[in-house]
Amino acid sequence: MKKPMFRLKHYLYAFAFLLIFLPQVAFAQEDAAPGGFLGSIEAGVQSVVDVLNLIFYFKIGGENGMPFIVLWLVVGAIFFTFRLKFINVRAFKHAIDVVRGKYDSDEDEGDVSHFQALAAALSGTVGIGNIAGVAIAIRLGGPGAAFWMTMAGFLGMSSKFAECTLGQKYRVIKPDGTVGGGPMYYLSRGLSAMGLAPVGKALAVIFAVFCAIGSLGIGNMFQANQAFAAVSNVLPFLSSLSWLFGIVLALVVGLVILGGIERIGAVAGVLVPAMAVIYALACLWVMLVKLPEVPGAIGTIIATAFNPEAVAGGAVGAIVIGFQRAAFSNEAGLGSAAIAHSAAKTDEPVREGIVALLEPFIDTMFICNLTAIVIVLTGVYADPTAADLNGAQLSAASFETVIGWFPYVIAVAGFLFALSTMISWSYYGQQSWAYLFGDGTVNIYKGIFLFCVFVGSVVNLGPILDFSDIMALAMSLPNLLGCFLMSGLIARELASYMARLKSGEMLPEPQLAQETVLRR
Amino acid sequence: MSWLKRKSVLIPIDFSELSYQALGPAKELVEDVSALKLIHVLSPLHPADPAAMWDTLSDDDRKQKVKAFTHDKLGEMGHGELPIEVVIGDPTSKIVDYAQEIDADLIVMPSHGRKGVKRFLIGSIAEQVVRLSHCPVLILK
Repeated sequence: MKKPMFRLKHYLYAFAFLLIFLPQVAFAQEDAAPGGFLGSIEAGVQSVVDVLNLIFYFKIGGENGMPFIVLWLVVGAIFFTFRLKFINVRAFKHAIDVVRGKYDSDEDEGDVSHFQALAAALSGTVGIGNIAGVAIAIRLGGPGAAFWMTMAGFLGMSSKFAECTLGQKYRVIKPDGTVGGGPMYYLSRGLSAMGLAPVGKALAVIFAVFCAIGSLGIGNMFQANQAFAAVSNVLPFLSSLSWLFGIVLALVVGLVILGGIERIGAVAGVLVPAMAVIYALACLWVMLVKLPEVPGAIGTIIATAFNPEAVAGGAVGAIVIGFQRAAFSNEAGLGSAAIAHSAAKTDEPVREGIVALLEPFIDTMFICNLTAIVIVLTGVYADPTAADLNGAQLSAASFETVIGWFPYVIAVAGFLFALSTMISWSYYGQQSWAYLFGDGTVNIYKGIFLFCVFVGSVVNLGPILDFSDIMALAMSLPNLLGCFLMSGLIARELASYMARLKSGEMLPEPQLAQETVLRR
Repeated sequence: MSWLKRKSVLIPIDFSELSYQALGPAKELVEDVSALKLIHVLSPLHPADPAAMWDTLSDDDRKQKVKAFTHDKLGEMGHGELPIEVVIGDPTSKIVDYAQEIDADLIVMPSHGRKGVKRFLIGSIAEQVVRLSHCPVLILK
């Protein structure tokens, strides 16, 4: 390895450590905090957020302009949608065929089937954000923000395709059969194949740093925070015992990721899809009960998307909030899901990319949209007496107007969603950590992760959300930059795949034979 | 000089290019290659690794695959057949335990020469093995 690269790496490590240890330093400096230990933790998180805001969140186009990092994500999603000629539309049916196992082959390398890889990735994406994030979007950006979330989900399908195709193409199969994949690998290996080795290596390290830190927000503190909100909503005596909830939650997560008690993880993995179905059915029930008002609610969402009233920043504000919450929920453009998708058993990288584009569809266009319609339909968000409700509590209050006992379901579903998302993200973060510091030290990361579960439970939503947002979006910086540079390659691979798919040579033998007979 | 030859030499291997370097010098220290034993330490799968989530790759599968890989790799490098023990857990303690178990009289391993933060975080596995091993450790530079 060359000398200058080493220096860059050291600099990045130093940056990572600064960010991790900054809160401790900051404890001593804040004095405006609500006091006590919990207050100083909150002040610490806030001061980290202030620094990050300066770096990533500067607005382009004046006071009401678009934050740079959100614009980056929007441009990325639009670019890939056009560059890959609406892959999100034209490959949709094929994606479903692949997930159904039509193209599975046991001879291909990898660990899990296409369906299993999609499910594993979804357990990271379908989090409490699907319940709470939508409420946050509507609270901040009005009902119109939900329209922009859907739009972001639609366009995000293309960026998700791009990153997961690369993840599959540049994965590494280790001697023990496990797969190493994700942006760290495709940025370093992919760009090095293009003769851009130093750039690739640098982007890979930057990504790994952002992902290791980002996993503590989007996949940890935010989840813990909103899980507490959902649970304390139905068990009011808990609301002053956030520290106890934090300790218990950290203990449960710790049992899974440290203690190797995989049963908890497996149970959550089974219950999460079940909860998702129950949740979706409940949303449909609410819509059925209020059927005559549904067209009106959808009309409100669309009308306020282009003409929002009382939203800071007007239409741009609604777009920013919508894209931000959507990316937060479906991870398109962040690169994290490519880590899970690269384990799929296939020798066609494009095929797993096509499977992955279902993720933003299921997560954002389907589940988030259901939540949005319920919230707008019940009108709780506009009720002045409920103005202090946000996140999971706003969603729960909306459902409560139709199904009295539903906040309990939200508490259980939210808790399980949060738990499975935290476990998945600890995997993404750990892979990134291991890429930087080696496998031998992952217990240090796990320790930090568990501490953050506690922090997330005791701190207010505001600073947690800001930190999680910025760090999650920051991951898209190295990731999408690499994807842009490799977009020509992705387009060529896709064209070749589609040509071979069309010729019918990819179908398993019996079906091919059958079709020739039919044609005669 | 055959009284200087070792009867049982353990070589921890992590499949990095560096780790194979120990094979050459180790061979010179024994009378017969049958006195050489390899060990590879795997880390446990994360519960959210898709393979763990769907239980498609058991610990035994992983060990088998490593053994097959080693067989091919050593054959390719012209080292012939060497027995390898594959275990799951913390590298240092597993290496030290296995050395005791087979009553090794020497462990040969390269120093990875980690620098900066990595060094601070893990020091080096070689260093830890030196501290905990019951037998002499030869560290290659």
